[in-house]
Amino acid sequence: MVKLNDKIEEELKAIFNGDIPWVTIVWDDPVNLMTYVTYVLMELFGYNKEKAHELMMKIHTEGKAVVSTGSREEMEHDVARLHEYGLWATLQRGDQAL
Amino acid sequence: MTDNEHGFFRHGDNSYLANFSESEREVLTNLVQQIIELLAERVDHHNDDPLAAMVGITVHDTPPEDEVLLRLLPNAYADQVDASEFRRYTESTLRQKKQAHAMAMRLHLQEAVDGVIELDHDGANAWLGAMNDVRLALGVRLKVEENSHEDLELLSPDDPMRAVYAVYSWLGWLQESLISALMDESQ
Repeated sequence: MVKLNDKIEEELKAIFNGDIPWVTIVWDDPVNLMTYVTYVLMELFGYNKEKAHELMMKIHTEGKAVVSTGSREEMEHDVARLHEYGLWATLQRGDQAL
Repeated sequence: MTDNEHGFFRHGDNSYLANFSESEREVLTNLVQQIIELLAERVDHHNDDPLAAMVGITVHDTPPEDEVLLRLLPNAYADQVDASEFRRYTESTLRQKKQAHAMAMRLHLQEAVDGVIELDHDGANAWLGAMNDVRLALGVRLKVEENSHEDLELLSPDDPMRAVYAVYSWLGWLQESLISALMDESQ
């Protein structure tokens, strides 16, 4: 039996879980202006005004919204950019409950 | 702080202008200065590994204890282990990026001729980020989470928080004016 070290085990996990997307979530915040949230989503993700506005309204009324989907690495990048502009963002596996 | 009646407005393709009084510039400079100092590297743990420091890896991976700093540098994961790991590799860069926004804003304020600030698109984004960080910081102190705008409007004139709320509101208005000038372009 081949002995797997942790690194290889991680790699294999990634290969088999590779099709599970990760998500970036933006949470509602009482300080950030609604127009600011819309503007940041347009700037960072290239969303048009309608899509950005719709996401902002979802964040505002439901308390949170998924703003992007992709690999874990991509979502970490998105969260970092959202934090740079002061939006309250987290990432998690797409198959976990929000 | 009512000299500036218009806030930012669009002037040509890639130019956003605002006219500030000396006292307004002083207030703004003072606020961004505080953000720059607040975001300076944590001194509770110093980095013993110069190579790690060079590539932006820090030894601390616990969330900041200060409430304001925690709002500016929030956890990226609900899971504490993942959050710590992410923080270790990214917090230092996030501090630098936020400081860069605040420093750009400070420089614009210093270089203003006759109180006129002229920003291009990147400059405007730096101002928005920096103004937002100031508002997040003030918002924590004002406890906007628990206090409604109505509560804050009713603060007594001798309550020091009243002045903080006035600055907070003014910054929100200024931020809003810059956003509408920018959105105007994307229509």
